[in-house]
Amino acid sequence: MKTKFLRILTSFLLVFAFGFSVHAQSISGTVTDENGVPLPGATVLVEGTSNGVSTDFDGNYSIEASSGDTLVFSFVGYASQSIVVGSSATVNAVLTPDTALEEVVVTSLGIKRNVKALGYSLTVVDGSELSGNKTSNAINALQGKVAGVMVTGSAAGAKGSSRVVIRGTSSLTGNNQPLYVVDGITINNSNLGSAGVWGGADYGDGISSINPDEIASVSVLKGGAAAALYGSRASNGVILITTKNGAGQEGIGIEFNSSTQFDMLNTGLRDTQTIYGQGRDSSKIVDPIDTYQAWGPKMDGSMVAQWDGVARKYSNQGSNLEKFYRTGETYTNTIAVSSSNESSNTRFSMTNMDNIDIVPNSSLKRNSFGLNSSQKLGDKITVDVNMKYILEDQVGNPQLSDSPGNGNFAVNLFAPTVNVNDMLGEGGLGRNADLTEFRISDNSYSQNPWFAAYNYINSSEKERFIGAINARWDIKDYLYVRGRVGGDRYDHHRTNSTPWGTAYQPNGSMNETKRAFQQYDADLFIGTDNLKLDDDVSLTAFVGVGQNSQEYSATGVSGSHFIVPGLIDVKNTKNQGSSWSYWKKQINSAYGSAEIGFMDYAYLTVTARNDWFSTLSLKDKKAPNNDLYTSASLSFVVSDALDLGSSVSFMKLRGGYSQVAGGADSPYALSLAYGIYGQGHLGASLGAISGGTIPNSEITPFEKNETEFGIDLRMFDNKLSIDATYYDNETLGDIVGVSASATSGYGSALANLGNISNKGIELLIKGTLMQSDDFAWNASVNYTNNTSKVVATNDTGGNISMQEPRSRNLRVTHIVGEKYGALYGSSYVRDASGAIVHQMVNGIPIPKIGPRKILGFGVAPTQLGIGTSMRYKDFNASVLFEGKSGGQIYSGSNAFLIRNGHHKKTVPAGGREAGWVPTGVMEDGSTVTTSIPANQQEDYYRRTYSIAEEAIFDSDYMRLRSLSIGYNVPSDKLDGTFIDKATITLIGRNLFFLSNSVDNIDPESAYNNSNSAGLEWFGLPVPRTIGLNVNLKF
Amino acid sequence: MKKIVLTIFALSLVFSSCEFDKGFEEMNVNPGKAAQIDVANKFASVVLRTSGGRYENWRASLIYQSVMIQHFSATAGYWSGDRYFRNDGYATSLWDRYYPSAVKEIEDIRAQLTAAGNTGSEMGMTRILRVYIYSRITDLHGDCPYSEAGQGYINGILKPKYDAQKDIYADFLKELEEAVAQIGSSTTMGKSDLIFQGNTTKWKAWGNSMMLRLALRMSKVDAATSKAWAVKAIGNGTMTSNAHIAMIAHTDGPEGINKNGHGEVFDADGNPRMSKTFVDWLKDDPRLPILAARRSDKSTAIADLIGMPNGSTSATVPDTSIYAEPNRAVITHKDVPMVLQTYAEVEFMKAEAAQRGWISGSAATHYNNGVKAAMQMLSQLYPNAAAITDAEVTAYLALKPYDATKGLQMIGEQYWAATLLNEYEAFSNWRRTGFPVLTPTNDPGNVTGGTIPRRLIWPMGEESTNADNYKAAVAAQGPNDFTTRVWWDKQ
Repeated sequence: MKTKFLRILTSFLLVFAFGFSVHAQSISGTVTDENGVPLPGATVLVEGTSNGVSTDFDGNYSIEASSGDTLVFSFVGYASQSIVVGSSATVNAVLTPDTALEEVVVTSLGIKRNVKALGYSLTVVDGSELSGNKTSNAINALQGKVAGVMVTGSAAGAKGSSRVVIRGTSSLTGNNQPLYVVDGITINNSNLGSAGVWGGADYGDGISSINPDEIASVSVLKGGAAAALYGSRASNGVILITTKNGAGQEGIGIEFNSSTQFDMLNTGLRDTQTIYGQGRDSSKIVDPIDTYQAWGPKMDGSMVAQWDGVARKYSNQGSNLEKFYRTGETYTNTIAVSSSNESSNTRFSMTNMDNIDIVPNSSLKRNSFGLNSSQKLGDKITVDVNMKYILEDQVGNPQLSDSPGNGNFAVNLFAPTVNVNDMLGEGGLGRNADLTEFRISDNSYSQNPWFAAYNYINSSEKERFIGAINARWDIKDYLYVRGRVGGDRYDHHRTNSTPWGTAYQPNGSMNETKRAFQQYDADLFIGTDNLKLDDDVSLTAFVGVGQNSQEYSATGVSGSHFIVPGLIDVKNTKNQGSSWSYWKKQINSAYGSAEIGFMDYAYLTVTARNDWFSTLSLKDKKAPNNDLYTSASLSFVVSDALDLGSSVSFMKLRGGYSQVAGGADSPYALSLAYGIYGQGHLGASLGAISGGTIPNSEITPFEKNETEFGIDLRMFDNKLSIDATYYDNETLGDIVGVSASATSGYGSALANLGNISNKGIELLIKGTLMQSDDFAWNASVNYTNNTSKVVATNDTGGNISMQEPRSRNLRVTHIVGEKYGALYGSSYVRDASGAIVHQMVNGIPIPKIGPRKILGFGVAPTQLGIGTSMRYKDFNASVLFEGKSGGQIYSGSNAFLIRNGHHKKTVPAGGREAGWVPTGVMEDGSTVTTSIPANQQEDYYRRTYSIAEEAIFDSDYMRLRSLSIGYNVPSDKLDGTFIDKATITLIGRNLFFLSNSVDNIDPESAYNNSNSAGLEWFGLPVPRTIGLNVNLKF
Repeated sequence: MKKIVLTIFALSLVFSSCEFDKGFEEMNVNPGKAAQIDVANKFASVVLRTSGGRYENWRASLIYQSVMIQHFSATAGYWSGDRYFRNDGYATSLWDRYYPSAVKEIEDIRAQLTAAGNTGSEMGMTRILRVYIYSRITDLHGDCPYSEAGQGYINGILKPKYDAQKDIYADFLKELEEAVAQIGSSTTMGKSDLIFQGNTTKWKAWGNSMMLRLALRMSKVDAATSKAWAVKAIGNGTMTSNAHIAMIAHTDGPEGINKNGHGEVFDADGNPRMSKTFVDWLKDDPRLPILAARRSDKSTAIADLIGMPNGSTSATVPDTSIYAEPNRAVITHKDVPMVLQTYAEVEFMKAEAAQRGWISGSAATHYNNGVKAAMQMLSQLYPNAAAITDAEVTAYLALKPYDATKGLQMIGEQYWAATLLNEYEAFSNWRRTGFPVLTPTNDPGNVTGGTIPRRLIWPMGEESTNADNYKAAVAAQGPNDFTTRVWWDKQ
């Protein structure tokens, strides 16, 4: 990127050189770096004039200048140097690197800007951080790396969606994930299916299909001031992804990268009792319905007839999880060909990713093709073309949450005496010869996990194309025009089937859905870079117009009751249905930005953007269909303005204020509409009002205002750097449902009434602990803390109900005055001292069920990432510990493990046989003294299952998120081979926990990535990953 | 330098003068949806919504009313009506489903017809169906939103007031009278009229029959008004044969909306058994082997048909398969019609009016007509039902001739038998007449003090979404529980 910038700069200066040369004496010399290596392309300028040249390949230059003139030598990434021309005709310059001063980053709309001018926090992550130690959903590799950015994985396996929230959630019920922009083009990040309270499978999100091997860098525009130029789509921040190009390659280069990763069940998580076997009430008599119950007596090895009538040893069968889940494998192979010359560079890459997940019969294949090409057409025009073509094939997406179709549910709950391998059935597919489910229980909702894995169909194919053309025309040295058109489109075809022969749905059902989405972006802007308005004042500014249009259609057919067993064809069903949906919407924009620099140490940036919305356009409506968003930010480089002494290498203070927006992006929502539904009835068509919400034609996007302050301090020759930010934002007029009585005919009316605030700090500390030729040791710490507050919900200040777990004794709820997303559920009744109050039922003390109350919050407010990297000669190693704290989780798995006698807490110290006296008090205040006999202890825990509080855990953890140990094969060893460079890296992810406050599961096990964070219910275990990465350059 | 700045400003002016929202109003029109559609394309939908889906037919109709009224019985704990348990979601299911569907749609159609100045058959039919829809709600819950209901969009009423049932009934009768008067000889509803297929004569007969039903509903609370409207209804011409039965034809798919909601329940739920009360009453009745079959082997032999006592539990009846259940070969299918009102009911109501001396004529004749119609309609409603012959009817009537000394009871019991699977009507008529005399169950978990509920409760959600009106309704009608009586159910 620096190279590209350099080239532009060079061409500028060439223009100057040829256009404005004056007659004076010829001065020549060489520009080198501090090691004496020539710097080709460095610029040499006669101060106060536009007379400048650039150095040739050997760093030599020649310029006309008079004695007494000042020559300014500059080169990107180095501190400029001024030398007064004396009597000598030779002036050599030695430039020293200055990372802080000339760090150029990609900001909004792909504009590259100098870091020191930024009045807001922006974090850049190098692409190697995503590609070196891969995650199947590339964005998950950002976990713990960026202060202010919370990335939360889900319990959906390799194909799962991710949740990325920057600086807290901005909407109560709307989208809270950032806008993703790839090479200037906004891409779709919709979820293509996820699990809810009644089950379902995750089909991934839009960002999951971006190929990590193609990513050059990721810029995270965290706050409003950074993202303001994206206007109404910037409320959640923006993640800008720039993909790799061929720049810097000499001639033709070939790069091959191969990564092999293995996902393994984290066997250290599950720690349940292995003393008592299947049964109820301490009795071994095993009812086929009770495969999940571990309330039998101590396992004694006697022969007992099991669920299928077969007598087996009543003994611990070992971990069913280890028997059911397999080692996942992911092979990612990328080959990239790059070439570059004076006027163009090209990179073409192909990546094949082949994954089998830990759950049987589940796989993901992804083929990605990328072509990036940059051409200079003459001196003034540069055209970049970026194309990505992605083919994705998902098979066997595991069902999560509720038990039907969810193999994870059963395999987690089998009593210790039950062996999942006894349930393999015909051909290991969990079924009988006649294709019906090989039943493991009389309860038809208790699904044979093998049957679930091998017979349900949850598969999809996705074909996606993302392409962009960027052109830049440098009209004058101070004036440019940039244009960009591009788009993101995909076709997604999904097939689902509950097979014929499923116990709870014997006739089966299926559906096929085809979705097509396309989105186009076009921008045209004109601007100036670093225009000197005065000796001390510079201007970088642009104005432009943009357009974003989106179109979606979905066509589906469904059928239930298969006629011929085993044929997956809608025509093979008795009851058939079809569906179609379509929408189109567009945003047009005008925007502008001006950065005024003073003395190269103070910068004021103001931006404005006005968005016009098709979704807010309706004949004769009163509220406007457009909205203006502005921001202002200030950067003050103290270290340049004042002398802070030699220990301070760089110090910048920054601050900004911004208005951005979100929501109101649903088309056709302003007026009542009628549709024909169903398939008619006895020759009559069925028409009615569509939708259950009263349309509000006066709705507007919500507004989010943010103030941020920060400091960027680098000390001791940049050996220590501290980047700290404080932000305070508030969402006003969030779109919420106004409570309507159902008797109005509608569930709700939409109105701009919600209000949320977030305050937080982001801290990044980096240090170079040791540095020598052979050895380097760096460390970094990033810390995030966000405090959210629900300020207003709706007209009555009532609670806003979000999702609930399958036990339905808790709901994620937004409550005025509280943090975002309270876990609001049934509680214990406690006395003044907090002791649990019991009542006598059937002769034993049992906890009373208390009212619903706030039991926790699903969103963890605090994140800590601690990373360190070391290099010793040709070896390097890096490690990242990552943790979150302050949040809670409702763990459905633990609720069930307790209820069914698996959890260790269900085994009292002296064993169940000795009886157990629960801790707490009776209703009269006396301490509980009655001992519950072994055969009634399950009654106690069946009661606690109804009490959501029992299964609430702090979701705090600190884990080894990633580890890599690499070896660069020394170049002398490669002499004589065709290989230029070879690197071998051992990689590991999620290897172990330093701490984990949730029993038996990974704390990041939510079954979806929705706003209802903190709900866990029998998802896929989060695996450990180890692997090997080999990178070869030819 | 100034030139540049000026250029930029000039360009921004150019940009800002562009029309940035060109075509947006057109774009924001859904190509798959219409701003309005013809009433003839809406009416079938509201008719099917009136028939109802599996949801409310399972909960309000079967789980509560059918077992409260002892047509059926069930041991499963969630069959809350059998032992008078409280389950809010079940008890409010009709309300929860009707207001956002049937009510919203009928109000929409009425508003559209009003706007179009329609004063003919279509408006008349709409008004009759509208009365029917609200009558189900108010009979079940008492006071309820009526005059302001379903108008969240039409008039922006998000929190409708609760009207007193007394006022609702007064309006019902006025509406029916005007509706019948405006129905002409034909209608443009076409196939959308799923009830009478465009036969306006039958619509008039139904309108008057509904007037008779609602008139009699007031017999306890206001006998004079009750009589006046009953006489008027009969005079205006009620149903005269089984060809007049108001019912909605269903098909077995392709989607849920097409199916008989009760039929869908029976597909999914094997719990309901014939109540002992009902089977015992059906002794010597040719309807028994049509309506009931033994669960275990589908036998319809009279000796095999034993009703299960209401109030049974899995402890008292471990094996319920020995008992009779609704005959799955005949009455439980998804393609049988949903009955709104039958000719048999009309004859029984006339019998009652005659018995009370409100009209001239023989109560016995109307009673006999009613019994005959109730028996013979079964083969019309259920294709698999064996036709009951005139001879069988005569034999039955000979065995149980009308006895004027206990006339109201005999009429009430026959009405009860004739309204199997029209549980809303069966429950209402039982509350009004007290017949049949039912022995309540008395489970320790009941919430009614061991009495049969007199209504189903309002949704608790109304307490927060419609707080002021809800409080006013509680103040006017009484506590929101199962034993508070609705206005016409005067003690």
